[in-house]
Amino acid sequence: MSDIEDMLSVTEPKVDTERALARLRARVEGERIAPVMRGGAAPHRIGVNIWVRGLAAAATVALVATLLTVSGVAETILTIFEPKQLVAVPITVTDLNGAASFGAYGTLTWTEQPKPYDVPDIRTAARDSGMTVLVPGNLPTGVGTARYGVMNKTTATFTFSADKTQKAAAAQQRTPPPMPANIDGSKLFITGGPAVVAYYDDGTSPAGATGASGASPFAGMPKLIVAQGKPPVVQSDGVTVEQLQSYLLAQPGISPQLAAQIRAIKDPSSTLPVPIPVDMATSKKVTVQGVEGIFVGDSTGLGSAVIWQKDGIVYGVAGTLTEQQVLAVANSLH
Amino acid sequence: MEVADRLRLTTSPGPGMPPSFEALFRKEYARVVAIAHRVVADADEAEDVAQDVFVSFYRKHPADAHYAAPWLYAAAAHNALNVLRSRERRGKRDAVEAIRRDTQTPDPAQAAETAETRSEVRAALARLPDRSAALLVLRYSGLSYEEIAAALGLRQSSIGTLLRRAEDAFRREVTT
Repeated sequence: MSDIEDMLSVTEPKVDTERALARLRARVEGERIAPVMRGGAAPHRIGVNIWVRGLAAAATVALVATLLTVSGVAETILTIFEPKQLVAVPITVTDLNGAASFGAYGTLTWTEQPKPYDVPDIRTAARDSGMTVLVPGNLPTGVGTARYGVMNKTTATFTFSADKTQKAAAAQQRTPPPMPANIDGSKLFITGGPAVVAYYDDGTSPAGATGASGASPFAGMPKLIVAQGKPPVVQSDGVTVEQLQSYLLAQPGISPQLAAQIRAIKDPSSTLPVPIPVDMATSKKVTVQGVEGIFVGDSTGLGSAVIWQKDGIVYGVAGTLTEQQVLAVANSLH
Repeated sequence: MEVADRLRLTTSPGPGMPPSFEALFRKEYARVVAIAHRVVADADEAEDVAQDVFVSFYRKHPADAHYAAPWLYAAAAHNALNVLRSRERRGKRDAVEAIRRDTQTPDPAQAAETAETRSEVRAALARLPDRSAALLVLRYSGLSYEEIAAALGLRQSSIGTLLRRAEDAFRREVTT
């Protein structure tokens, strides 16, 4: 054995490939990571952009699930949760990897499934959603016309299961703290939406084109998205916020930093956390439409988003645009 | 793509993992972990690195890409070296403790000594230029010159020379 071989020697690690594959599957499903297919059309690439995805779904139950997954669950689970303000919660790749997906703690049953559908015009979008749909007063150059989609009001019940939690943890070689008896079997009732999303494609290319740059994470993204919706409301059948927070923040994979950020939310019953993947994006507070909002900039400099809540509606504007352009669109909504 | 389809993408789980990717994972996972482990000397951390490497590949490359294996090996070495460097930045105590967990010997004194030595060696590795460190890691993980050349984008004929230089540099770092 050479001296260097000797110096770099380690005990051969024992790996359980199937267990590791199960862990990877859970992560891919939890983060909804889409694979790249040969040919690069990759219509599912939209799922790569966590913040855009979160924003587009801001007023839907999907966002609740995302938030619960990535931010340690506790802050949004309340006897009655009705957000009135937003707060950015920085998350890291380690947090994303570490936090078990919400499905690991129990079973989600839809009572009214989210069924997004296209509508021919803004008038139909407003009628179906029951909301006044705001439109931008001016659009940046290169942005085409809008097409509208509506997400119906959705409701779901989540039932905690100690047994399921145990099995999910075992599959990831983890030992979670035991689920308190009063949480096991308890239910959360989640309501989200309705929501309206307007997509503005690049005015120069056909709608839905993936663009020339197959390698860009923004391939396939519309030039501009304007979304608005009723924020999610969560009710519990008895278990308290404190009990859930204490249990869930003690889970393996929840970093002390993330737990501290969640505990620091002053009024969790009325605060909607917006997860910001710190390795992909930066965020800051901005004033939009006279209220405080969160600006999110993609770290590649290719995209921007802003999200805010006003008069009981969550709004989001995102696109492959600059900060100035996105804020101008947001402030021009009327 | 219609608006409803886009919305559906935001609310439904992603498509299932392609069988070709699972096959790639099963074939290469152990080797990717072994490369990362050679660097970080901590089995848990090595598995974390391997998970990140496969996720990165999954996001960006088709599973049947001809360069899949060398890409994974190179990414394992580079990612593990990044972990090592950030561990070094946190201080010697953290570095020794990470390796200590991985040192399997019944004698605590011996375990501490082994961990200390391994930690010093890895600190030296972390100080090397990235390409030199990656060369050493891949070679001493058992890769052939051909595999190393493919992984690091080098000419196979230059691997021998570059490797010798990297070894000399490594020895100097260890003794300083």
